[in-house]
Amino acid sequence: MDARVLIAKRAAMELENGQLVNLGFGMPTQASNYLPDGVKVMFHAENGVFGVGPKPTASAATADMTNAGSEPVTLAPGAAIMDLATSLGAMRSGLLDVTILGALEVDQLGNIANWAVNRNGKWWPGIGGAMDLCYGTKKVIACLMHADKSGESKIMKKCTLPLTGKNCVSTIITDKAVFTVGDGVLILKEHAPGVTLEEIKRLTDAEFVVADTFGEMKLD
Amino acid sequence: MSKFENKLKTLDEALAVIPKTDSVIMMGGFVGAGEPTCCIDWLIQNQISGITLITNEPGLGGFGRAMLYKNGLVKEIISSHVGTTQESTDEYLKGNLKVEQFYPMGTWIEKVRAGAMGLGGALIPVGVGILDEPGLFADLKEPKVVIEVNGIKCFVEPPLRAPVGLVKAWRADEMGNLEYRLTSMNCNAMVAMACDYTIAEVEEIVPVGTIPPERVGTPAPFVQAVVKGLSLAEHDDRYRQHWLKIGKLAPEK
Repeated sequence: MDARVLIAKRAAMELENGQLVNLGFGMPTQASNYLPDGVKVMFHAENGVFGVGPKPTASAATADMTNAGSEPVTLAPGAAIMDLATSLGAMRSGLLDVTILGALEVDQLGNIANWAVNRNGKWWPGIGGAMDLCYGTKKVIACLMHADKSGESKIMKKCTLPLTGKNCVSTIITDKAVFTVGDGVLILKEHAPGVTLEEIKRLTDAEFVVADTFGEMKLD
Repeated sequence: MSKFENKLKTLDEALAVIPKTDSVIMMGGFVGAGEPTCCIDWLIQNQISGITLITNEPGLGGFGRAMLYKNGLVKEIISSHVGTTQESTDEYLKGNLKVEQFYPMGTWIEKVRAGAMGLGGALIPVGVGILDEPGLFADLKEPKVVIEVNGIKCFVEPPLRAPVGLVKAWRADEMGNLEYRLTSMNCNAMVAMACDYTIAEVEEIVPVGTIPPERVGTPAPFVQAVVKGLSLAEHDDRYRQHWLKIGKLAPEK
């Protein structure tokens, strides 16, 4: 299975019936394609929607019905549209149950970095709604590749890039493993199919303990 | 000028308030959606340069607002992001587009709200201990101010206002009451209230009394000029074509 599909599928397993959910761009957005049977959630888009529905056909698409990536969308039954201050206020004040976010780095304190890399001595590309999500959402799930192309771990003792949120991540899902965040240490819960504990140890910079229930990733 | 007079103007009449250089403009829209298409085109045609643009994010690549950066007309953005368009990314990385600091989106809109609502600022806990890290934003003139309220550390965020605001609504009456449609409301209604001279670009102009009062998204006294832009059908077509081009919509057989 493609690593990104694996991560999206595993992330979808975290969602529970009735939750108000915000999905970040990329792998997190794909998670909506793999919702477990019987799980119905309401998707939030930060430009001002509770209840984002599927993509319309080309002839049904309208300039005035878009998601936060400016893609044409439809509305689900019971949807509501609001202005930007209400949408971001809902995020900040704890109305959202879950967010699934892409990450550049995460660490054993539950810190996440996903808004900036250094280019030409400048921070790029910017924050958008990510800090508001990390600040207010009850459960923050970080999705990322376990290591970069040269094998350097992105699951770190301490993030090196500017943070998006402090001590806010509760679950980390990678192409190799699933961790939850404990008290200053990660707890290794699951390995991806075919991945050994030795491989996870080699690719993980953060300190972690192995859960009693440690086993293969649940994908359906 | 009466707050309730007929505010219909041509683009040239309305936008004549904008200085040729070094203007400060606040603009509604969200990643290219619900943005004042014809006003943007006018800024480009008239080569209004050295703009400081107060905008939620830079826009959508290859489309609308992005052309302002491509034409080198914007010198600074006050925003949550610089990377939603390749055009703004290019200008930023070349050093032609200044971003003094990035604001979380919720902070940006609350600063605009504070400007709109006559507040002295907003107290915002998001990013404390992160965005005030010394050296993070090298161009910052003064360190960000933090105060503690009820045990919660908050940034003291000054209000944002602008001399000129450009917003997009669905329809307006001649007096300047605005009605928004679906997600194109985004930050337009808040921006409309945070500017000294707000120009509303609309798809349709209707007689006073047509918009039900409770459906008025921006009350007329906040609006100084109304200009007729593309129609709803023209906008739908323009966005559909763009979405098809960038693969966000699948062609129908």
